[in-house]
Amino acid sequence: MKTLVLSLALVTTALPAFATELTVWDWKSGDPAAAAYFAKAKEVFEAAHPGDTISYVMQPNDQYYTLLGTALASDGGPDLFLLNGGAQARARFENALPLDGKLGDLAANLAGTADFSEATGLYAVPLTIQGFVVYYNKALYADAGLDPAAAPKTWDDLAKVCAAFIAKGTAPCIALGNKEGFGMEFWFSAIAASLWTAQEQADFAAGNLAWTSPQVVAVLQGWVDANAAGWFPKGANSTAKFMDEYEGFMRGETGNTIGLISDVAHWKQFDEMLGAENVGVFMMPAPGGAAAKLPAAGGIGYAVNKKSPNADLAVEFAKTLASAEVLQVFFADAGAVTANTQMDTSSVTSEAAKTIFGWLATETVPMAHANASAAQLEELHRQSQTLLNGEVSVADAAAAMDKVGK
Amino acid sequence: MARRSEQTTALLFVLPAIAMVGIFRMFPLVWGFLLSFTSGDGQGGSVWVGIDNYRQLTTDTAFHDSLINTAILLATLPVWVMLPLLLAILIHQGVPGGKLFRAVYFFPAVLSAVIIGSIFNVLLRYDGTINAALGSVGIEAVDWLGSGTTAMASLIAVALWSTFGMSVLIFMAGLSTVSSELIEAARLDGAKPAQIWWHVILPAMRPILEFVAVVTTIGVLTSMFGLIYVLTAGGPGTSTTLPEFLIWMEQGKMNRPGYASAISMVLFVGMAGLAYVQIRIMSRNANG
Repeated sequence: MKTLVLSLALVTTALPAFATELTVWDWKSGDPAAAAYFAKAKEVFEAAHPGDTISYVMQPNDQYYTLLGTALASDGGPDLFLLNGGAQARARFENALPLDGKLGDLAANLAGTADFSEATGLYAVPLTIQGFVVYYNKALYADAGLDPAAAPKTWDDLAKVCAAFIAKGTAPCIALGNKEGFGMEFWFSAIAASLWTAQEQADFAAGNLAWTSPQVVAVLQGWVDANAAGWFPKGANSTAKFMDEYEGFMRGETGNTIGLISDVAHWKQFDEMLGAENVGVFMMPAPGGAAAKLPAAGGIGYAVNKKSPNADLAVEFAKTLASAEVLQVFFADAGAVTANTQMDTSSVTSEAAKTIFGWLATETVPMAHANASAAQLEELHRQSQTLLNGEVSVADAAAAMDKVGK
Repeated sequence: MARRSEQTTALLFVLPAIAMVGIFRMFPLVWGFLLSFTSGDGQGGSVWVGIDNYRQLTTDTAFHDSLINTAILLATLPVWVMLPLLLAILIHQGVPGGKLFRAVYFFPAVLSAVIIGSIFNVLLRYDGTINAALGSVGIEAVDWLGSGTTAMASLIAVALWSTFGMSVLIFMAGLSTVSSELIEAARLDGAKPAQIWWHVILPAMRPILEFVAVVTTIGVLTSMFGLIYVLTAGGPGTSTTLPEFLIWMEQGKMNRPGYASAISMVLFVGMAGLAYVQIRIMSRNANG
């Protein structure tokens, strides 16, 4: 009996030593709209792996990559870390575990993997798809004498819409917040999507399409021309995109806004604030361009730290995070357009969302700005502001961009 | 023997302070200096690049613009010193409600830069309170924070508003130390009030003036980050980018700690030089 009790005590004491805690870094788990998704992932994983636990560590968004880089450089860091698709993800691939052959059946059901891959393979499991579309306020369209059901399809259509808004004089045509330069990022990818060929997109991503090339200059010139034509409200350089611009649109103060398709500043939020019947959506046309397209890319995804002592378990949790069962919560709560193609979206009633989901299947092209370097984006922010103020010419701004390394 | 024991005790007393300075001041400074000679990318991929970062600074237009902005900021220093001096003199002279003014002037000094920035964001934005007030009297709205011609001046005005109260207090403390016998003697000699101020009070206040000038100079070069972050994010373009904000951009947004360290070193040398000159002037006056 004594031996049995002793053995039981030893086993009980030793059990915690086998338990593993996975540390997961992100910048989203504190977001109320995403909280239920992260809780669900933890619950499902811990139920399937008794004794193992998940610890989310939310880092400040604007310092995230610096903190992550420092942690990874110290040969420590989290077991899993969240990444933005495109250039930000590729910059961290050297710290990430190659995932080819490790995802099982999930691999066949994932979209957006290109933005988390390079020639050597897949390095992160995409969770969402992100993209830019133009949302419009149907009530304001009607107020300006326009047909709310007729969304602009070409640049000329958009010009007529903005002419009607200017003539009415009660609301700016296209909302714009460019205090941090994000207004230009959205504009750049939205216009390039409809203006550039697939080859030009590929050339830009590879750094072979100069900013002084006619294709890129046309995007910058469109920015200046739209501003000169009065499409944007005054004061865009002192207006924050992610607070002021979208709040203004949701208060019904502006006719159109270039928004996201997933997570925030998107159909779900706008439907709730303006009423679903008042929200329309169209793909941004480009001056003289062909048919409008939707710039989209893998939004966010989880990479596994290749130096993690628990890498196999971390891969399992990445699979849980990207599973249809768990992502369903993210979709329901935050309106996240998920990368798992097995997601059930049949419950969606939003007309804008249905339209976007239809385009996602056939009309998507790369998100150009996601393929620029951090230094290029920073310089683009600066040049976009001076272009709006008329303090620099398009030619000079493009030349300045070319001086910044990829 | 007793002397040796005394020295040991003294050393033990100053050891914590020396350790703190060494660990939290000197070590980061030396580390930053060494980092400025590397291509640190924030991911452990540091490579020794010699003076490449410093060479790159010579062609970096954002860095050049930040130095020009610093020069503009420093050119306004007389206002930063003279305005609080003037207000301190008025309060010292006993203007009605002097105590209330003293409290009101000091109040912004206890607010954080983020709170002050948020307040002035509401006031100065294009559809903000100030433009609404201007519009009510028929004056066209100005994009105070978004135009290259007004953003820096707006930033300086907000920073001045938020900090001058402390200088007012220092000047008032200085004014209270000026010998009343000296003033009385000057008055008996027939000096007029303006002459008393110019020839008696201000010379006596000189060390205080120099102290405020040094403290203010260091303050404007190192404490503008919060306001820039909230009010303008360094823009439009680079019109409100100062070296300290650029350091954060390079380190925090572009993951280039090596290059950020090089900018830090230039800022450190510049500030050290400026402080040295000012302290030399103070010492000379004190000894003269």
